[in-house]
Amino acid sequence: MTLQVIEEGAPTRGRAFLASFIKNFLPAAPLLLIVGFFFLFPIARLIYVSFLSNENTFTFSNFATATQEPYRTGFINSIKIGLLSGAIAAFPGAIAAYFIETRGGSKLRRTIAVMSGVLANTGGIPLAFMFYAALGIQGQLTKILKFFGWDLYAGTFSLGSFLGLLIVYLYFQLPLMVIVFSPAIVSLRREWSEAARNLGANQFNYWIRIGIPLLFPSFIASFLLLFASGFSAYATANALTVGNLPLTPLQIGGLLDGNVSASQLNLGKALGVVMILISACAVIPYLAIQRRSARWQK
Amino acid sequence: MSSKSLTLNNISKRFGNVTALDNFNLEVGVGELVALLGPSGCGKTTALRVVAGLEHQDNGTVLVAEKNISDVPAHKRNMGMVFQAYSLFPNLTVEENVAFGLQMRKVNKSVRLKKAHQLLDLVGLDSQSKRFTHQLSGGQQQRVALARALAFEPEILLLDEPLSALDAQVRVNLREEIRRLQLSLGTTTLFVTHDQEEAMAISDRVGVMNQGVLEQIDTPDALYNKPTSSFVAGFVGTMNRIPAQISDGMVEIFGSKVVVLKRGNESGQVVALIRPESISVVANSSQPNAKVLTRSFMGASSNIICQTGDGTIVQSLMTSASTGDLHPGSSVQLRVLSPEVLVANV
Amino acid sequence: MAKVIKSKFQLPLVLTLLILMFFVFVPMISAFEYSIRTPAKGGYGWDSYLWAIRKEEFLYYIIRSTWLAGVTVLITLFVLVPTLTWIHLSNSKVRGLIDGLSLLPLVIPVVAFAVGAQISFPEFVKNTVLELPFLYFVLALPYAYRALDIGLSAIPLKTITEAARSAGANWLRTITSVIIPVIRGSVMATIALTFALSLGEFTLTVLLHWDTFPTWVTYVAQENILGAIAISMMSLILPFLLLTIITLFVPERSTQGRK
Repeated sequence: MTLQVIEEGAPTRGRAFLASFIKNFLPAAPLLLIVGFFFLFPIARLIYVSFLSNENTFTFSNFATATQEPYRTGFINSIKIGLLSGAIAAFPGAIAAYFIETRGGSKLRRTIAVMSGVLANTGGIPLAFMFYAALGIQGQLTKILKFFGWDLYAGTFSLGSFLGLLIVYLYFQLPLMVIVFSPAIVSLRREWSEAARNLGANQFNYWIRIGIPLLFPSFIASFLLLFASGFSAYATANALTVGNLPLTPLQIGGLLDGNVSASQLNLGKALGVVMILISACAVIPYLAIQRRSARWQK
Repeated sequence: MSSKSLTLNNISKRFGNVTALDNFNLEVGVGELVALLGPSGCGKTTALRVVAGLEHQDNGTVLVAEKNISDVPAHKRNMGMVFQAYSLFPNLTVEENVAFGLQMRKVNKSVRLKKAHQLLDLVGLDSQSKRFTHQLSGGQQQRVALARALAFEPEILLLDEPLSALDAQVRVNLREEIRRLQLSLGTTTLFVTHDQEEAMAISDRVGVMNQGVLEQIDTPDALYNKPTSSFVAGFVGTMNRIPAQISDGMVEIFGSKVVVLKRGNESGQVVALIRPESISVVANSSQPNAKVLTRSFMGASSNIICQTGDGTIVQSLMTSASTGDLHPGSSVQLRVLSPEVLVANV
Repeated sequence: MAKVIKSKFQLPLVLTLLILMFFVFVPMISAFEYSIRTPAKGGYGWDSYLWAIRKEEFLYYIIRSTWLAGVTVLITLFVLVPTLTWIHLSNSKVRGLIDGLSLLPLVIPVVAFAVGAQISFPEFVKNTVLELPFLYFVLALPYAYRALDIGLSAIPLKTITEAARSAGANWLRTITSVIIPVIRGSVMATIALTFALSLGEFTLTVLLHWDTFPTWVTYVAQENILGAIAISMMSLILPFLLLTIITLFVPERSTQGRK
């Protein structure tokens, strides 16, 4: 009945709205529902709860605590390891991608693509084992280096230290760089280097005026993605450190597990929100640059 | 003018097992526009790239104004090249693209920008000079590429199928513009294309290539009317291939004897090569030797397709006024209009 | 002549590959060497692998992880293929919205997502392990969406669907027997990607207190370190095989989308 009344009241508008809704949204409903319920809702709730005190009243205190010790050091370390592992991997990764894409045959490129895909996703316990076996106190490489007179463990080095973690992170950061930077190399047209040579540019001039300016945005974008990946890595850090290195993902994990107790119940949520903000600062520009340079890549 | 002549001597180039150029020879005079025409894979683009220095020949020499430049690297050759498409630098504006060659030659900024604007004006795009190249249409991009290739006053202009990625109408306009510019600047030009109409329309001479060899190079007129090989005859324009018997330097076609134009080693059974416009179709004849299959009206002229008694399909091009009595199915008499014909072995 | 030799001898490429291989294979081979040690007897053998495979949890967790990954793949295909087909056909205004949404999981660190997931779902969702496939679906969404998007962009979708519809096929049949076969390369890539990601997912799973094959290794490590290393080695091979499948089925980049 009510439906009829509504339809009589505004027959065309009501129907038009319904029709346009069906046309524009209904087929996307399953996707929107799943993404809404399993993704947007938890994120929204995370943000909401991060502003709640233990008594469920509105507060900024979670965020205030999140910026104090030891969480402050956690953020600094996480940002540092993201920046450093990204920066160290970016340049060699870009060079490797360049040689592989421009000099390699199609079989080699495919093989590298497969291997990079696997390696960029290694992490956690398996990765920790690999590095214990190679660079641990009893590791193969450690022994070899010691034989040549370089005792890795003479100082304070350990795989669970900042430096150790940094080296381990490179294991997935380098292949990740190869993966995300290769499309930019492929999009460099041969016509551009040939046109430049034809117009009187030597190799150096071509790279300075054309090649590097064209690759630079993608390089920065790739670096940003690497930063986000190093910044938020959890499994590997969890497997290698034993609470000796403050990193935000580990601190959040500890609060979530209940292994670490805090007087503020919702502190972990605030840390999560800050992580999202920092990650967004890197990933959103990455996506924007990718979209922009897609214009040339047509 | 800075324009120079271009000579290629015995150039050979192989890619793996494929011979792209096989003892290739070519001369282009000062200020001349020569087109290289041929099916894809015939080596025409390789020839152009060897001239530009983008490929290095296995054997032979490239001379510019009698000077051997075979081992001069591409960036020191002073040749302007227009590529098929997508060769403009996407990170530079239109005027920066055009000024690039002068920048590489260390010409100071105000001079090179002035020159760039001059060239852009010539191709009608001065108003677009501050835009980025992806904001231009395909035809505009190729105009910019042309301006860029000419801005540093190259000794030779190289065109590598510059029109092939464009729409038909733009293609016709731009080719006229290329010719106009080339004539006014007097730049020696080598133009590679697979489109014979394009080659014929704007070139001083056209070289027809096949399998890495220059089959014939001549004015468009001569190429069309006096092809020296059956490949050229077949490739340039439309050609009827009519089986005939050769005897005493004559062939008999449609019941009348015709002189064989050029005799090589052809003998016995051959095919006579005859242009459609050299065949006339006569209606209401007392000695019909063919039937009309179709007649297509094309304005001033009409295309008549006939079939002779022995099954050969013959195409004739006649003024439309004289085809009024020709209808599909009508019996007609075919006649050869030219007194001489070219023949090829079967 | 010199040119030919130069193009065959690829010093920079060879050097690059050597350095990369050193970095990649030294840790891998070192770990492998550990995994085939037999401390009791001395020397080498497959003891640790056999020990791991004989454990009853081994099969249990393999099966559990596999069917969870399988469900994730099904969700991905059932939801994404029709939705993307519709988006491509209708050019609807929601396209921008959905494109953006599909990339959003890249922005959110998995740890933060796990915190949100832990505090959001009602009991009936929290208490079933079936929440994992839906969460894995979200994590794989940016990659799966892109893979299918590329596949659908490369084909004349409108013509194909109109032909199928005019030949009498309903929408379900059009999708299952026409569209999916045509974009099978992308579909295979999506399946392999989603499957590999779900099989290897650790962070979200462990923070939501579920046990799967990757988290099980943690417990094994406390019991038998060499056995755990052997399991880790085996878990590296699986994604390798899956990604090999991707490259076998997906056409090369150069053949896609270039006009």
